[in-house]
Amino acid sequence: MDSRGSTEETAIVPGQMSQDGQDHHDPQNIAWSIVSYLLSGILVWGGVGWLLDRWIGSGAVFTVIGILGGCGLGIYLGYMRFTRL
Amino acid sequence: MSVLAQVTGSIGSVGYGLAAIGPGIGIGIVFGLGVQAIARQPEAYNLIFRNMILGFAFAEALALIGLVMPFVYGT
Amino acid sequence: MTAIALAAGALPAGTGTRMLVAEEFHAPGLGLFQWEPLFDIGPIGVTKPMVLAVFLSALLIIFFWVAFHRPQLVPRGVQNLGEVGYLFIRDDIARNIIGKRGDKYVPLLFSLFFFIWFFNLASVIPFAQFPVTSRFGYPAVLAAIVYVTWVGVGIRAHGLGGFFKAQIPSGLPKAIYPLVIPIEYASNMIVRPFTHAVRLFANMFAGHLLIALFAITAWHFIVEQPTVLGFGVGVVGVVMTAVMTAFELLIQALQAFIFTLLAASYIGGALEESH
Repeated sequence: MDSRGSTEETAIVPGQMSQDGQDHHDPQNIAWSIVSYLLSGILVWGGVGWLLDRWIGSGAVFTVIGILGGCGLGIYLGYMRFTRL
Repeated sequence: MSVLAQVTGSIGSVGYGLAAIGPGIGIGIVFGLGVQAIARQPEAYNLIFRNMILGFAFAEALALIGLVMPFVYGT
Repeated sequence: MTAIALAAGALPAGTGTRMLVAEEFHAPGLGLFQWEPLFDIGPIGVTKPMVLAVFLSALLIIFFWVAFHRPQLVPRGVQNLGEVGYLFIRDDIARNIIGKRGDKYVPLLFSLFFFIWFFNLASVIPFAQFPVTSRFGYPAVLAAIVYVTWVGVGIRAHGLGGFFKAQIPSGLPKAIYPLVIPIEYASNMIVRPFTHAVRLFANMFAGHLLIALFAITAWHFIVEQPTVLGFGVGVVGVVMTAVMTAFELLIQALQAFIFTLLAASYIGGALEESH
């Protein structure tokens, strides 16, 4: 049994609601949410990096850093949200 | 030397198509093995699910970076 | 002849003037989705997708009116069919996702599901043969309706400040918050309605394009320019048209279901977010 991880014992049935109303065991909902977090992370922080590039005039350096950073943050947010609550 | 064959048009979309092959296979492997693991030991569902989601997020990230890169570099 | 048919709006613009006498194979492109107006009502040109939308909506309204306008306790006839549809939405979607207080939103979800399904079905009905939802305006407006609904429901349930505060995830290290909060807001308020609409639109767009491609292949290689070698390609075209039509039947119902399911999920999430 999993003794390190989940602090609440939730059933395997999809459709059961958790505390915040999102169905945390419906894989479709979670999959699309993770895609959405990744895309938002890339767009938001890639956009910030792109604006920084235009201000400083440094080609595409900060854009790429922003994209990769936003990607990592999106993964982090998705992981934190869907594997702990 | 004469041109024998040529691909014209948007090469960004060709790039994205090529970039999506890897994550497609990767996500398939992640979820396939995850489902197998759940079938072998259903009481470990939570643990397997968490790791499955982590693997999916990493593989999907590569596909989305491939989607965005053509816009960064123009065409 | 094709010029007259094009001008009358009965054929999409992408077929070109060489439809019946083509020397080369032309795959269908974006022109497949452009329509000339059939007639004008004042300043508005009425095109075939609009006629289809009005006709299918009228069909839907009349069907459920006939089913439900004199409901009996023990259902007879058409009411059975109507009840199957209604109970599917109420039990499997609304009560499963939102819970008992989702009953208030069943009319919205019911309308969404059946409108989208009927609009999608127009792709495989003879003489119509155009999925109304493959014009981006239709899924965009439907997703906008769902967006306004869940934002309104959330603000009414938690207040304006509480609505925005409830979306912030809890339990993260404090230093990460400024980096992660823009992602959360962009994801919920901007990217989510966009993917909601685009998922439906892209599936219908691609399905229609595929069926048209295989049908044009079959027509070109069997009827227009039959050659010995090309005939095999034409037969493959015929078989693939049938296969893709069957696949499209599945995808149409599935996409309508997913749209409604996600709409219910967003409304339920707005009602309950309290980290």
